[in-house]
Amino acid sequence: MVVIEVPEVNYTDYSNRQLAAVPLAFLVLALAIIGGWVVATGAPANMGLEFTGGVELRVAADGGDVEQQVQTAFDREPDSVRTILSDDVDEGRVVVVTFQATENDPEGFASNLQDQADAAGFTTLAVDQVSASFASDTARTALFGVALAFLGMSVLVFALFRTFVPSLAVVASAFSDLVIPIAAMNLLGIEMTLGTIAALLMIIGYSVDSDILLNDSVLRRTGEFYESVSRAMRTGVTMTLTSIAAMVVMAIVASVFGVGLLRDIGIILSIGLCADLMNTYLLNVSLLRWYKFEGVAR
Amino acid sequence: MLEPIKENWRILLLVVVVLGSTVALFGPGFGPEPAPGENASEAQQGITNLQYGLDLAGGTRVRAPLSGYTATDVALGGESPEAVADAVAAELDNASTRNVGVVPDESAVEVTDPTVTESQFRAAMDAAGYEYGGIRSGVTQETRDETMNVIQGKINEAGLSGGSVQQVQSITGEYFILVEVPGQGRQEVIDLLEERGTVRIDIAYTDGNGTAVQEGALIQGDFDEIGTATQSDRGPGAYVPVTVRNSDDDGQSPAHAFQDAVAQRGFPDAYETQADQCGYNSETGEIEEVNGDRNPCLLLVVDGEVINSFGMDSGLADDMGTGSWAETGRFRLTTGEFAEAQQISLNLRAGALPADLDISGEGTSSSISASQGENFRTYSLIIGVLSVFAVAGMVFLRYREPRVALPMIVTALAEVYTLLGFAALLGYPLELAVIAGFIAVVGTGVDDLVIIADQVMSEGDVSSRTVFDSRFRQAFWVIGAAAATTIIAMSPLMVLSLGDLSGFAIFTVLGVLIGVLITRPAYGDILRRLLTVR
Repeated sequence: MVVIEVPEVNYTDYSNRQLAAVPLAFLVLALAIIGGWVVATGAPANMGLEFTGGVELRVAADGGDVEQQVQTAFDREPDSVRTILSDDVDEGRVVVVTFQATENDPEGFASNLQDQADAAGFTTLAVDQVSASFASDTARTALFGVALAFLGMSVLVFALFRTFVPSLAVVASAFSDLVIPIAAMNLLGIEMTLGTIAALLMIIGYSVDSDILLNDSVLRRTGEFYESVSRAMRTGVTMTLTSIAAMVVMAIVASVFGVGLLRDIGIILSIGLCADLMNTYLLNVSLLRWYKFEGVAR
Repeated sequence: MLEPIKENWRILLLVVVVLGSTVALFGPGFGPEPAPGENASEAQQGITNLQYGLDLAGGTRVRAPLSGYTATDVALGGESPEAVADAVAAELDNASTRNVGVVPDESAVEVTDPTVTESQFRAAMDAAGYEYGGIRSGVTQETRDETMNVIQGKINEAGLSGGSVQQVQSITGEYFILVEVPGQGRQEVIDLLEERGTVRIDIAYTDGNGTAVQEGALIQGDFDEIGTATQSDRGPGAYVPVTVRNSDDDGQSPAHAFQDAVAQRGFPDAYETQADQCGYNSETGEIEEVNGDRNPCLLLVVDGEVINSFGMDSGLADDMGTGSWAETGRFRLTTGEFAEAQQISLNLRAGALPADLDISGEGTSSSISASQGENFRTYSLIIGVLSVFAVAGMVFLRYREPRVALPMIVTALAEVYTLLGFAALLGYPLELAVIAGFIAVVGTGVDDLVIIADQVMSEGDVSSRTVFDSRFRQAFWVIGAAAATTIIAMSPLMVLSLGDLSGFAIFTVLGVLIGVLITRPAYGDILRRLLTVR
């Protein structure tokens, strides 16, 4: 039977620079991807309907090539058409049709589209309409919320440890834990929605746990540095692996069932938690070691 | 006797909380508020008292601002609101006094007709000669409150349980009305909100060879009491019992006016026996001969369309003739079909919204079919259970010791169970985002229990109680710090208007609080009992 044993890492073999290089490389790569997205699309991520505005219809048809039928059913060309699995219909196929909001959407735009869908013989399962002005407002509010959450977390961490470098280490790895999943979302084509924002906030909560545990063990307990780190690691890696297990299962089961929101949250958290393992035990440890052996002495 | 209780109070507290949650989840009296005409068991969704949001039950959410403009800080100069409204309305070609509201408490004047533009309103305010601070889009607080009441009334009247309406403010300060109706499609909800059904009674009478109509013999505001739609006991058809207001501050009351009008149009003479019938033909708009007479008729007009025409019971006509009817003012509006009667009752009671909801312009709406909602409910249950199994599996693999791992899993489950109890108690509808919050709670909960277990069992066996307690306290510092960061990170979302996200944040914070205050200390006690040698 498999036994989970958290391996002992021999940190003395590597210099601080070497340890920090890997997570920093990932961080730079992630920032480059996000920067590239801003240049190419004008937004840091694939914004979902809630942030762009528009109309999204979920329709089902009796058979045939539904996607093909959808292309011709509406008098305006849809901005995106994708098929998802669903139990709702016998064929098991539901098509999500998205129309981005434009300046001159006529009155009753969503109702018109629904009528057109009905006329083409589709069954409309869900209709979402978001106005462009409301969407930009939501985007601003969400950004503000995430920024405020991050800021609040940072202030609290500084208040808890009252030393600059270890607190900075926590905040820096939390930042990286947020940025890497966003870059991964772009590459995997996951849209930024309110649900995925929730997942990003969960990462703030989860990732800080193991960082605080590490800092507590090194700074507030007695014992030699490497011993403290390996003690914190034993607990911390178990914690993170447990969470990753839950999230991977959630992502897999949710994608089987076609519950998009839970699948996305599962994927994002799995990536975020993997990033957290790397950031905590490479970036944070190297910063702490520098602080313990060189920073304090200065 | 008291000693065991004192020793184990943390565990006992957990047991009490779990029992309390069971009561909230399954006990009668904690279920969803039933809509009028619905009993408690009909309002319940499934075997528990839990309520489900739109994601999990299907339904429609509409979020829209009220259209109109408001002039703020208006110098009303002590004039009566009516006079100000008249003066402003007189300067607007496309709005009547009904569309201009004056709220002295807020020193505000508003226009609620969607066709009036901002510059037209500005010009009208200038022309009417009132000084004002500025013009903003949207309507006054008073109108928003009133609109909410009317919408709530419409939802209740239509018998939609679980429907809710609230005001939300966006980050830019704009107000929105948020309406959520489970189990209804988008179009039905919008129809319900947008219909401005006006009901009135006209009198059709013969004028020479033709037919003349006296419009508005009774209008919406004349009714004092409006009964619920009732199936007629004789024959088909239904009616709405109403009472017409028979008092008035100045001049004639609506009941007396109506009575006079009926008498003047010759109803008492026309309706003397059962054979006297109304012969109004709604297609031609003419009164036709029935049994040799062309009798006057009452017309029930909804939204300008004649829904039904009827004559009058001879007894009632007599009372009107002698002038005794107005003392009670009781009257029945009859229709051909029950559904029509229901609609009329609804229109009379709830009536029109004080201002239009701008759904197609600035609004947002979403709707999910009931079958999809139901599927999502099953799926999220399965997803949640499997995630918990994954966590349990990892914990067993790591500790290989049921004494440590089993209480851990039981404690984490108790945490989720308690949260569900809270959701039932608060009547908070569960949504997908809340389910995600629950799974997050299991995750952080187990994380913290791992910290406790590792801390307590580090550095060899725990032999004495003092050793255990000091290690437990050390572990709790980390847990407290982690909980505080989570709460701080989530708190902005609880208050920002971000739809689903606030539910997620509320339940994550609630879960963390329950964890830190109740379940994690209890796990410490359980572990102590199992590990320390007494």
